[in-house]
Amino acid sequence: MARNVYTVAQVNSYIKNMFTQDYMLQSISVKGEVSNCKYHTSGHIYFTLKDRSGTIACVMFAGSRSGLAFRMSEGMQVVVTGRIDVYERDGKYQLYAQKITRQGIGDLYARFEQLKRELEEEGMFAAQYKRPIPKYIRTLGVVTAQTGAAVRDIINIAGRRNPYVQIILYPAIVQGEAAVQSIINGIHALEDAGVDVIIAGRGGGSIEDLWAFNEEAVARAVFECSVPVISAVGHETDTTIIDFVADLRAPTPSAAAELAVYDIRELSERFSGVREMYRRGMERKLREAAMQLQNRKTRLRYLSPLSQIREKRNFAMNLEGALQEAMDRKLAEKRQRLLLYIERLKGLSPLEKLKQGYSYVSTTEGETLISVKQVKAGDRLKIYVTDGFVEAEAKSIGRLK
Amino acid sequence: MEHMEETKKEISLEESFEKLDEMLNELESPDISLEESFRVYQEGMKLLKQCNETIDRVEKSVLKLNENGELEEF
Repeated sequence: MARNVYTVAQVNSYIKNMFTQDYMLQSISVKGEVSNCKYHTSGHIYFTLKDRSGTIACVMFAGSRSGLAFRMSEGMQVVVTGRIDVYERDGKYQLYAQKITRQGIGDLYARFEQLKRELEEEGMFAAQYKRPIPKYIRTLGVVTAQTGAAVRDIINIAGRRNPYVQIILYPAIVQGEAAVQSIINGIHALEDAGVDVIIAGRGGGSIEDLWAFNEEAVARAVFECSVPVISAVGHETDTTIIDFVADLRAPTPSAAAELAVYDIRELSERFSGVREMYRRGMERKLREAAMQLQNRKTRLRYLSPLSQIREKRNFAMNLEGALQEAMDRKLAEKRQRLLLYIERLKGLSPLEKLKQGYSYVSTTEGETLISVKQVKAGDRLKIYVTDGFVEAEAKSIGRLK
Repeated sequence: MEHMEETKKEISLEESFEKLDEMLNELESPDISLEESFRVYQEGMKLLKQCNETIDRVEKSVLKLNENGELEEF
């Protein structure tokens, strides 16, 4: 019987297909111990997951690195979630990791939730117990590690806002076994030193790194502290128990410094602002008073006897003027009328008539000769002209029809 | 002891601002006489000067609590 002979490629392909078709292998979580862990420069991580009975090869590609929140090392117990697929080239199967977590991490979250519930029921988170943060502090206590970004940020920002505030640092151990007691000691020591406010916190890290700030003993120390405490643990998204117990929660150590330390430049500006308003208020009052004074001065000047006299004199002068004017006008009027009469008279004057060539003839009786009836031939007549008279004798009489 | 001094200073600064606001209102009101205005103005300036003086103006270097509970420079 002839057997079918297949190529390597065909076989590998076949096997790969089997894996691809398997529903469970597409997303599976596997727990084991990390061994032979290599962080490649490309960003990919190659490691082996092992337990008593065997091993399985794993890889986490650079693109999936967001699924790993801590540095993996030899011997760690982890849970790897991902897809099991065949790498045909090597004829091997691998676990392609999407997410890697520490074993027992679920426990920690559960413990966190439980403690949070308990302390909340006790009333330790209640708003009424929160001490107000003083606005204008003189001394600032800080409980944190003496190296690292947290302490640096706090010192920088506090110093920038107000270099006259005294900062006292209690260098604490902020993770690991010794952390809890160290932090508690720090809070007590600063309380005894009599600072105005305490910032307790640290930089970012995993839930295990931050765990000390979830411990009940630390929470109680914060709650009982007579000095107001600002919690500043990790990044904005990290929440620990002391964030609830503290008198104020800051999302980061930098923010804590801003909340604790007032900005002296703002205060100085406020002073200047107030001073300016007073000055202006006073200026305004003085201006008003001056105006009032001026107002009365003017009125008084107006009412003074001298001013009254001047007023009356003015009035009299005006009257005089008016009178004079009226007089002049009347005179002009009358003169005008006179001239008219003279003209009329002149018009009617016999002398004018004579000048025009008319003569005035009178009889011997002295009658003005108007009609032929008044005279007959031979009568003597007198003809008056402009500069004398002519004696004449009527020669004949003629009648006009 | 130091605590009390700080709280006293704390209260005075905030209280002082309140008092300053009050007096400023008085000063700005139309009813107040000129003499009163002078008095209020002077009082305000005096209070402001006091507030300024309570603010410490000496720069501080960071101190650290060592194992013996003593302060040393950080």
